Formats: sequence, C-alpha cells, structure tokens
Amino acid sequence: MTTLTSALYHAAFYADMVLTVGSACVVAFSKNIVRSAFSLLLTFVGVAGLYGFLEADFLVATQLLIYVGGILVLLLFAVMLTHRISNIKASNETSFSALAALAATGIFLVLVEVGTKTHWDVKGGPLGESTRPIGLLLMGDYLLPFEVAAMILLAALIGAAYLARNAIRK
Amino acid sequence: MSPTALALVQDLRLFLPEVILVLTTLLVIVLDVTPVRKSHRALLYLTFCGLLLSGIYLLRHYVDLRESGGRASSSNVLLFGNSIALDPFAVYFKGLFLLVGLLTGVLSIRYKKLNPAGEGEYCVLLLCSTLGLFLMVGSRTLLMAYLGLELVSIPSFVLAGFQRDSRLSNEAALKYTIYGAIASGIMLYGMSLLFGLAGSLDFAAIRHALEGQTELRASPLLLSVSMLMILAGFGYKIACVPFHMWCPDVYEGAPTPITAFLSVGPKAAGFGVILRFFYQSLSTHSGGGDWTPIVDQLQWPIVLSVLSVATMTVGNLAAVAQTSLKRLMAYSSIAHAGYLLMGVVVLSKDGIFAILFYLAVYVFMNFGAFLFVVFLHDLVGSEDIEGCRGLGWRAPFPCIAMAICLFSLTGLPPLGGFIGKFYLFLGVIGRELYWLAILGVLNSVVSLVYYARVVKAMFLENIPRGEAEPLPVPFFYSAAFAVLVAPILLLGVYWAPLVKLARYSSSIFGA
Amino acid sequence: MSHILSLITFIPLLGMLVILCLPRHQKDWIRFVSVFSTALPLALSISLFLDFENGSKGMQFVENCDWIRIPDYKLRIQYKLGVDGVSMPLVLLTGILSFLAVFASWETTKGVKAYFALLLLLETGMMGVFCSLDFFLFYVFWEVMLLPMYFLIGIWGGPRKEYAAIKFFLYTLFGSVLLLLAMLAFYFHAKENPNVLDPMDAFDLVRLADANVRLTFTGLFWQVVFVAMFIGFAIKVPVFPFHTWLPDAHVEAPTAISVILAGVLLKMGVYGLLRLSLPILPEAAAWFAPFMAALGLINIVYGALVAMAQTDLKKMVAYSSVSHMGFCLVGMAANTEAAMMGAAFQMFTHGLTSAMLFLLVGVIYDRAHHRVIKDFGGLAFQMPVYTGITTLAFMASLGLPGLCNFVSEALVLLGSFDAYRTTTIISATGIIFGAGYFLWCFQRVFMGPAKERYSMMPDVNGRELFTLVPLGALVVFLGVWPRAMLDTMTVSLKNVQDAVASATRGG
Repeated sequence: MTTLTSALYHAAFYADMVLTVGSACVVAFSKNIVRSAFSLLLTFVGVAGLYGFLEADFLVATQLLIYVGGILVLLLFAVMLTHRISNIKASNETSFSALAALAATGIFLVLVEVGTKTHWDVKGGPLGESTRPIGLLLMGDYLLPFEVAAMILLAALIGAAYLARNAIRK
Repeated sequence: MSPTALALVQDLRLFLPEVILVLTTLLVIVLDVTPVRKSHRALLYLTFCGLLLSGIYLLRHYVDLRESGGRASSSNVLLFGNSIALDPFAVYFKGLFLLVGLLTGVLSIRYKKLNPAGEGEYCVLLLCSTLGLFLMVGSRTLLMAYLGLELVSIPSFVLAGFQRDSRLSNEAALKYTIYGAIASGIMLYGMSLLFGLAGSLDFAAIRHALEGQTELRASPLLLSVSMLMILAGFGYKIACVPFHMWCPDVYEGAPTPITAFLSVGPKAAGFGVILRFFYQSLSTHSGGGDWTPIVDQLQWPIVLSVLSVATMTVGNLAAVAQTSLKRLMAYSSIAHAGYLLMGVVVLSKDGIFAILFYLAVYVFMNFGAFLFVVFLHDLVGSEDIEGCRGLGWRAPFPCIAMAICLFSLTGLPPLGGFIGKFYLFLGVIGRELYWLAILGVLNSVVSLVYYARVVKAMFLENIPRGEAEPLPVPFFYSAAFAVLVAPILLLGVYWAPLVKLARYSSSIFGA
Repeated sequence: MSHILSLITFIPLLGMLVILCLPRHQKDWIRFVSVFSTALPLALSISLFLDFENGSKGMQFVENCDWIRIPDYKLRIQYKLGVDGVSMPLVLLTGILSFLAVFASWETTKGVKAYFALLLLLETGMMGVFCSLDFFLFYVFWEVMLLPMYFLIGIWGGPRKEYAAIKFFLYTLFGSVLLLLAMLAFYFHAKENPNVLDPMDAFDLVRLADANVRLTFTGLFWQVVFVAMFIGFAIKVPVFPFHTWLPDAHVEAPTAISVILAGVLLKMGVYGLLRLSLPILPEAAAWFAPFMAALGLINIVYGALVAMAQTDLKKMVAYSSVSHMGFCLVGMAANTEAAMMGAAFQMFTHGLTSAMLFLLVGVIYDRAHHRVIKDFGGLAFQMPVYTGITTLAFMASLGLPGLCNFVSEALVLLGSFDAYRTTTIISATGIIFGAGYFLWCFQRVFMGPAKERYSMMPDVNGRELFTLVPLGALVVFLGVWPRAMLDTMTVSLKNVQDAVASATRGG
C-alpha cells in the first residue's frame, strides 16, 4: 500500500467515524423525532461502512438491506404516519442530563481503557469471501441458533400482531 | 447426507421435548386461525397436552441419562455443535419449567381478566417462553444463552401487557420491554468483550483461553467489566439488585398467571445460566466439587455475595410497606433472588444443590400464593391485602393454604421452604461465610413481618361476631390449592427423594 | 421399643385432624374430642411418671429411627425421642396444663373449631420439644409451637392482640434462627472432625453431650455459639432485656393461653439450657456462668419491682413470672447439686403456681370485665371460695414454707450461696419484694369494704374449681413431699452438673 492510498484509507475511515458518531449524536440529542429518525439513516450507513473496513462483505450487505432498507423505512413510516407527531413535545425530552452525562463519560473512559490495554484475540490476514461460509455455518454448526432466531421472530410477530390488533379494534 | 447433517438429525432425537413444544406452538397457531368453533379454553388444554407430552419425553431422557452410568461428565451429551447440553442439570430445570408452564396454564383457566379472543396468542407466547427457558438452561455458549434469554423475554413483554385495556398492564409491558432491551444490550456488549478476548463463544473454550494464558493478556478491568455487563442481563432475569427496578411495576400490572410465571420461570432459568456460565467459564475446578475464580483479581464471588445481601435486604425492607398483594410478592421474589444467590457464592456442589432444591419448593410456594391472588380477584374482586380482611373465616381452606405458602416462604418448619433455606444456610456456613449467614437469617426474620401481615388480615382482622357467612369456593380452587400445598407439607417432613434428585442433577458440577 | 412418647406427642395432632373434619357447629363434639385427646396424653404421661426409673442414668423410653438420611451429604436426621429426669416432669406438666387448658377454654364462643384445633397442635409442639433427642427434631417442634401460639393470641386475644401476637412471633423467631445457626455449627464441627463425632450423629443430642465429644467444643468460637443459643433460649425464658414481649402477650392472651404460656412455654427456655447449652457446651457455660447469674439477679429484682408497680392484675402476674424465672438462671449458674435441683424444680413449681394465678385472674376477669387492681376491693365477702384459692396461690408464689415454690426457691438460694454470695443475698430480696406485691395486691383486691358493684358476682363455678383444685392439691403435696418429684431429677441433673463442674475445674 502506498502512502497516498494509506492516507486516503485513513481519511475515509475517520470520515466514516465522524459520520456515524455525529449522526448518532443527532439521533440522541435532537428534540425533533423526525430529524432523529432521518439521522438514524446516516448512522446505519456509517456502521455499514465500518463493516466494510473490516472486510465483512456479507455484513455490509445485510446492514444495508435490513437496517437501512427494512427497519429504517418501517421506522420512518411509523414516524410519518403517526398523527401529529411533530407536535408532541415530550417525545424526545431528556432529564437528569448531568447525571447521565457523568455516567456515560465514566463508562466511556472505562471502555477506552479496556479497549486500548487489552491484547485482543485478532485473526490476521484478509478474510476473503464470507457469504458462503456463513451460509454453510448457519445450515450446519449454527443451525440451532438460526432456528431459535426464527422462533423468536415468530413470537415477536404474533405478539406484535396481538397488540396491534387490539389497538385497531379500539 | 453430509456427516454434519446426519449428526444434526441424530441430535434432533435428543431434542424431542423442545421439538414437541415447537410443534405444539405451531398446532395452536394453525388451530387458532382455522374457522372451527372451539370450546372455551380448548387451546389452553391443547397446550397442557403439549407440555405433558414434552414432559414424558423429558422423563425418558432422564431415565436414559441415569442408565448410561450417569455420573458427572459421562452423562454430558452435547447437541448441535456443542451449543446445547443435555445433562441432568438441564433436565432438572426443564422439569421445573414444564411444571411452571402447566401451573401458569392452570392459573389462567379461571383468570377473568384474560381476553378470550387472545387465547391462541396467549398459549403461543407461553409455549415460546417455555421453550426459551429450556434453551437457556441447556446453553453452553454465549450465543445460545443470549438467544434463549431473548426467546424468554420477547413473549414475556407481550404477555405482561396482555390485558389490552388496562393502563397498568400496558405500563408493565412498556417498562419490562425497555428494561429488558437495555439489559440485553449491555449483556451483548459484555459478551462481545469476552469474545474478543477468548476468540470463542463456547463456555468451556472461554475457560481454556483464560486458563491457558501464561501472562494475563486481559486486564482484570476488562474481565470485570465484561462480567458485570453479562451479569446485568442475567441479573435482570433473576431480578436482583440493582437490576430489579422493573420488578414491582411489571408484577403488579401483568396478568396474575403471568406474574406467577415471571416470578419463577425466568428466575430459575437465570440461575441455571449463571451457574453454568460462572462455573464453566470463570472458574477453576479443584477436587471435591469446589471451585474458585479463574483469575485471582476477578473476585466475582465477593461481588455476588454483596449483591445477594443487597438484594434480600432491599426486597424485604421494601416489601414491608406494600399494600398490594402482587407488589408484595414482587418484593418477596426479589428477596428470594437474594437468598438463592447465597447458593451461588458458596462455589460448591452443595450450594448448587441447595439452589436446585429451593427452586423446586419455590415453584409450589409462589404459585400457591399467586393462585390465592387469582382466587381473591375472582371471588372478592380485589388484589390488595385489604381485600383479604376476615376472609379466613369465610373461606378457610384457601386462606389456610395461602398461610402455609407464606409461612413456607418465610422459612418456618415443618414446611418445605424451611428445608430449602436450611440447605442454603448449610452451604453458606460450610464455607465459613458467617456474616452472610447471619444477614440471611436476619432477613428471614424481617420477611415474617410482611408475610404475617397478610395472614393477620386473613385471620386476625374483621373477625365475624357470630357465624361467618361462608364464601362458596369453587371446586377448582380447592383442588388447585390442595395440589399446590401438598408438596410443601410433604417436603417439610419427608424430603429425601427430592434431595437425591437434586444431588444427582447437580452432579455435573464436579462429583 | 415402647411408643409411649410418640403417642403422647402425636395424639393431640390426631385429635386436631379429627376436629378439622368435624362440622364447625358441632361444638360439643369438638370439645369432647379435645378433652379426649388431651386426657389420653395426660394419662400416658402419668404412667410415664410412674414407670420412670429414678436411679438410671441416661434416657428412658427411647424411640429411635432415621428420619432423613443422605449418605453422600453425611447428613442424618433422626426421629429420636426419649426422656430423662429433666424432661419427664415437664412432659407431665404439659400434660396437666393442656388438659386443664381445654376446660379453661370451655366458654370460648367464636371459632371454637379453630381454637381447639390450634390448642391441640400447640400441645404436640410442646410435647415434641420436651421429648426430642435430635437437635433438628427439637428445632422443628420448637418452631411448630410458634404458629398456633401466634393465632391463639392474635385471634382470641384482647384489644391489642395483633400487636402482641406479632411481637411474640418476631421475638421468638429471632431467637430460633440463632438456634438454627448454632445447630449448623455442630454439624460442620463434626464434618471437620469425623474421628471425634460422626457427622451422621451431629444432631444427636445424646452423642453431642458425650464426654469425648463435648471436650472438643472449646475456644472462642464455641463461646459465641453458646451466646447465640443462650439468646435463643433467653427470649423464651424470658431473660432481661429480651422480656418485653411477655407482658404484652400475657395481657392480650385468653386465659387458657396465658396458662400454657406461663406454665409451659417459659420453661422451654430453661429446658433448652439444661438439655443443650449446659451439657453440650460446659466449658462455655462455665465461662458464661457469672453473666447468667447476673442476668438471673436482674430478672428477679427487676421483675419483682416492676410487678409491684403494675395496676393491671394480669400484668402483675406476668412480671412475677419474669421474677421467678430468674431463680432458674441463678440456680443453673451456681451449678451446685442443690441449686440445679432448685432450678429444675422451680420450672415445675412455677408451672403449677403461675397456671393457677392466670386461671384465677381469668375467673375474675370473666366476672368483672376488667383487671384494674385498685378498682376491686372487699371481694373476700362476695367470693369466699375464690378468695381461699387465691390465698393459696399467692402464698405459694411468694414462697410460703410448706408449699412447693418454697422448696425450689430455697434450694436455689441455699445452693448458690457458696458460689455467688452477693448475688444470692440480693436475690433473696426478690422473695421479700414478692411477698410485698402479692400481699399488697391481696389487700387491695380482697380486703376492705365490700363494693356494691361486685355484690352480684357469683363465686367460682364447678368448671373453674375443676381446673383449680388439682393444681392447688399438687402445690400442697409437692410442698410437703417434694421428693416425689426431686428424686426423679437427681441423677439426670447430676450429669449436667458434673459436665459443667469438670469444665470449670479444667479451665
């Protein structure tokens, strides 16, 4: 890798970081729920970029497809369709902010300390194509977790349907 | 067929109790949507059948395990790429969960607030949650533990809010969901830290990774942080301090049968997972079934013993001021999480055995108490202590049964709860943790104050002048109370069989 | 193997089950069953008394089988019953007082079924405590007693019954959890020293008191255990400063329950000390003896002084119990033959006289509906028989020679004189105070001009006489012929005394 590409690579990485963390801050601190929802889009994209830097191609795709394409769109629908949501002032209020900031800073410092001082169990080298092995694992060693996840989704679906049906009937 | 696939199919045979639960779930869903006229509670009875059938296969597994020479590690069968263990420990817990599921169903039969239109969903969610409990106690990897926990949690969120038109129920669901989401998020973060360190999700592999280090790669801080974070998830399930805040509101708002379910099922499963995780990942094992923390700097037993004392003290002191029976039982269940944690910090087979024993008795005591709440609501229309006043003279049998459950929860002989506490304290004193034992027994004394308040309301207050006007008690309640109280009394005077069973089931933790 | 002790213990329980099956309006049947199921244990305990071999060491009428046996835990709990000279008189006392309590409760109107069922359960608990020779079994019976007592005070008691009941319950439970911890300490001691004591025998009270075993209970740890057990028992006695539940419980409890409470339950504390603390932990007992003597002294003097200040007749009698139980403590602390005999005999004699006193208070409360001493007066004219019996009970309580309390208190004082001279002399003033408050009370209640408002009060009726006369007869008989009871106690008490004495010499 030449110095230039290396520099570009780093620049891109930090840009991605700024994007992710910055938009996440907007999600958290904005008092307007619509603005929060849209910022979440950027956060998700930023995370997808992060996976890209880790050479996890499958995760990039799923992140974009599921979170950006699926969950976020659903979320936006919910926000936009909810009646007069922009008028609800209490939707995103914060309280105990000083205390929360203190706690968050403390946790952040601890995590930084932990993250930098630890020799992580890193697998070196490029990963290569990952979709196929993941697919095989999900149908092999990780079949049970895969199926259990299906059960969780089923339960969540039925539960959500019950609660929603109830709301409509009223 | 590839070898992996073949192995998976073979494993499926040892997974029949769970498979039956899944099939029952699907059957209930299908029947629920078919436009056939179903009699009242038909789906609930179908659920019973599923649970019982699952129980039969579970019993077969248990017999097989015993016959296969079943001591210690030889009876450990690992399924699905080592992610699930089929051992006596798991089977014991699964038996408890089936009991919990059945009893929850029994409590639901006459629970009036339950929306009849939602019966199908109710059964499905209950079955899914039970399946989650199964997976939790069997899990041998962080991944399975997490998935099992979620499979318990997500249906419980909905079940807690099942009374659609009750504000309290909605609030319960929301609180439970938010707390649950945060707790499992924190837990996931902790798990990822541990994974980053050990390079594996498998409990045993984590231990090997930590043991194999000549020089400690991980700072003790990292281990402590990840352990505390993981504990947040498990602690949320067992409702121990400081992860107990959701408990009173959720217990109060949820439908009573679900409250009973939450107070026993997830709590027991949480203990199952905690025991497995701390034993298999964070301990070194010496002979005689004793264990010690794997890293000297990581004294998690001390953390747990402090949590234990804090939990029982907070639970007991807060319970004293309650007026709602369900809230009172919520704090009582917090306090019991504290007592049970004593069994964990003992770090020996004796402690685990005591936990297993106590949980079995606890199922009956708690369900007895919650059956009384259902009964009270059904016949008197109240869920407060106030509603019990003088009831002992109008409906003696249910009230006596409730009193037995409460005194057993206090830990008075000759009731099962006393024997359970006896073994817990035996373990604690055996480890020379005198301060813990003394705080524990003092807490038991304090707990009498609030349990006795209920008894006082039932029998000592509002005593009728002449003959009391008797309250007609449906046969259902008499039978259900008899079924729940009989084991409490029996285990108080003859408990050797349960000891044998619990000893055997804890044998995986070193002979 | 004779099963007489099992029968004595469990016949009341059977009676309770029968009563539970009877319909609640069949009050006569319920009373009849109660009489029957307390009379049988009484008859059996009288035959026990007659068959008892005074000279033999060790336990008699022993029944023994394994209750719970968990080999890989090294845990065995025995169903082991037996009596010796210490427990036998108390079994008899329990039999007598339970039987009389049924008659004293005859007029109970509300919740008759529940009342008698609980009374019988209570008797099972009491008998079980006195007969158990296994610590675990002892503990179980000890706790079994709590529940019926709680309900009996809490349901059928006076105006502040709920407060009194829960106070009694909490105090006693607090004491008993300390006992539980002490019990576990023995078990782990056995686990660590299996060559001295097989862990399977760790709850066996006879094995624990064995000379070889008890010699290993030395050092600070066992002193702590002793203190824990002492507090557990002291709450029951009750020893100052753990006595505050007693006046409340007595004042609120119905008459028959007061009788049982004063007559039997208070003895359990002293019995526990004699059965468990002294013979098993003699070294710690010898170390603790001065404190015990001091506490006994406080009990005697404080109890007497407070009794003197009472305006409520029942409260006065309750505090007199506190005072009298102090003699038991002083006697055990002194640990001479005479003092021990006095202490053990005091349990029996105080059981008789306090039962009489509470019955008498009950009689007058039923008629006057109050118990304020100064509001009475001149009753001697209106209720001559009642006055006569009260005189006997008062005289016995204040220790008039010729009546049984004199014998036990005199023995305690004589025996303690050498060991604790000052203590004994001050204790003796307790008797003087006792004479003071009893006589003063007698004067205020029975002497003076007859009051108009009591002129219609009938004298004691036949049923009340039936409960009072046997007790009065025993008081006189044992005052004249104390050996009838003392001879049964001698050998067993000597064992206890020797154990402590050898520890004292050794230390």
